[in-house]
Amino acid sequence: MAFDYPAPFLQLARELRRLPGIGPRSAERIALWLLSNKDARPGQLSAALSTAETAIRPCSRCGFFATDDLCEICLQPARGGREICVVELATDILPLEKTGSFRGLYHALGGRLAPLDHIGPAQLRIESLQKRLLTENPVEIILALSADVEGEATTNYLVEILEPLGIPLTRIAHGLPAGGGLEHADQITLLRALSGRRPVAER
Amino acid sequence: MLTDLRLRDFRCFDALEIFPGPGRTFVLGENAQGKTSILEAICVLLRLQSPRTTATAETIRFGRDRFCLDGHFSEVHLRLHYSSEGREMFLDSKPQARTEDYLDVARVAWFANTDLELVRGGGSGRRRYLDFLGIQCLPGYRKSLRAYEKALRSRNALLKDNRPRREIEAFDPPLIEAGDFLLGARRRLCEALAPLAESACREISGGDDALEISCRSGAEGPLAEALTHTRAEEMRLRQTHVGPHRDDLKLLLNGRDAAGFASEGQQRGIALALKLAQARHLEAVQNRAPILLLDDIFGELDPVRRNRLLASLPPHSQTIITTTFLDWADRQPQDIAFRLVGGRLENA
Ligand SMILES: [Zn+2]
Repeated sequence: MAFDYPAPFLQLARELRRLPGIGPRSAERIALWLLSNKDARPGQLSAALSTAETAIRPCSRCGFFATDDLCEICLQPARGGREICVVELATDILPLEKTGSFRGLYHALGGRLAPLDHIGPAQLRIESLQKRLLTENPVEIILALSADVEGEATTNYLVEILEPLGIPLTRIAHGLPAGGGLEHADQITLLRALSGRRPVAER
Repeated sequence: MLTDLRLRDFRCFDALEIFPGPGRTFVLGENAQGKTSILEAICVLLRLQSPRTTATAETIRFGRDRFCLDGHFSEVHLRLHYSSEGREMFLDSKPQARTEDYLDVARVAWFANTDLELVRGGGSGRRRYLDFLGIQCLPGYRKSLRAYEKALRSRNALLKDNRPRREIEAFDPPLIEAGDFLLGARRRLCEALAPLAESACREISGGDDALEISCRSGAEGPLAEALTHTRAEEMRLRQTHVGPHRDDLKLLLNGRDAAGFASEGQQRGIALALKLAQARHLEAVQNRAPILLLDDIFGELDPVRRNRLLASLPPHSQTIITTTFLDWADRQPQDIAFRLVGGRLENA
């Protein structure tokens, strides 16, 4: 009979393998390191995992990571009553936040319309967005979704749903990447950059 | 020009190395020795797609979890790692994030016995033929094709499930944007290919056969209008009824439908003419011939067509040819030949 690692080791490797970007060999390597390297701290790791699992939850208003009912962003009083920026995922919020130029609130949908993965409007936080709009009266809704097929479709769907509310509705510009020259851009990127042009005076 | 190629855990090979010549390189071998897999490896390394399968994962050697291919093309070192976790591309050892940059290194034309399906088979094979060319010579083609396929499949899933109209129509703008690009690009490709295929067919048939190819578009006029006109039909059929997914290439030989009226020999000639046209178009737009991969096509051709084909191949192009026997070819001094036996290459 062929020998293998003991069952608890295999169980650990199986769990590691479920992580994104980890294949069977990496899983085995990480498990070996965790169990045999003197710098590994498997106890602390497992404690940190369970603490994080119980302490962190989505903000009930915007969906960002929170330790309380509301996240740190929603708790800042100066941010209310301004723009609401709609993003696909909670992880999209920090990059926007780091630009330092947005001072309103966010709303993470928790994904985008993806019929091939059986994700429709009911699976996204669209109803809670509509409720927020009624009570929070934002001055503008900014749609900041991806520029691929499903992101575009989700933007179009939200425009259909939200336009009747009469709140100014904008979408972020898509076009040439900063520092990119025209000669390297493909036709669709150029078309979008053209259709998204704006008067020079607005600058 | 491809100067060297290494395969690791690709198809039936654990490790194989080959140094093709600048002109014609013959790979000899019995059936099922893996000759085709060497050509396939070249195509996958240079173009990131196999002409034999759409599931690249099935080219990983049985029992392994990844394959590696690498080689030098025009002094650029290409390296490709592929596993179920994804693929990594390197140019001169630098990881490449943009597929377009990697694909800009080399162009390929592929000839195989299965090309007969271009004449006899359904429209999907002819669309793949146009796509293989479009991806290699039109910027934005690959991106639009992927976007269109995604938008179309999403939209059809919604139609099939009878979802509300506004959910379906949310996918219309991306479908139309990519669809109009594809419709136009394929029309232009057909126009460019028509005279090239016509003259290639005359060369292979010895001047007898007149081949006429034209584009049968999957939508008349702008896609947005065509979608509006076919709304009733699409609701009834529960799928998108117009668009480039219904594009086709019309093939007429001496004025008659090639699938129905041409002989088998003529049909093989048409298939070759289509592939030659592809190679010549690539040469015209790139200012240099693509690498030609000929997979075992000579066995099925009569000697006259064989020699006419060899004479019609773009001169000065690097050509790699698999075959079971070589006695048909008049060897030229600069030809290189290898024999593949038991997974190893030896000089022949
Ligand atoms: Zn919040």
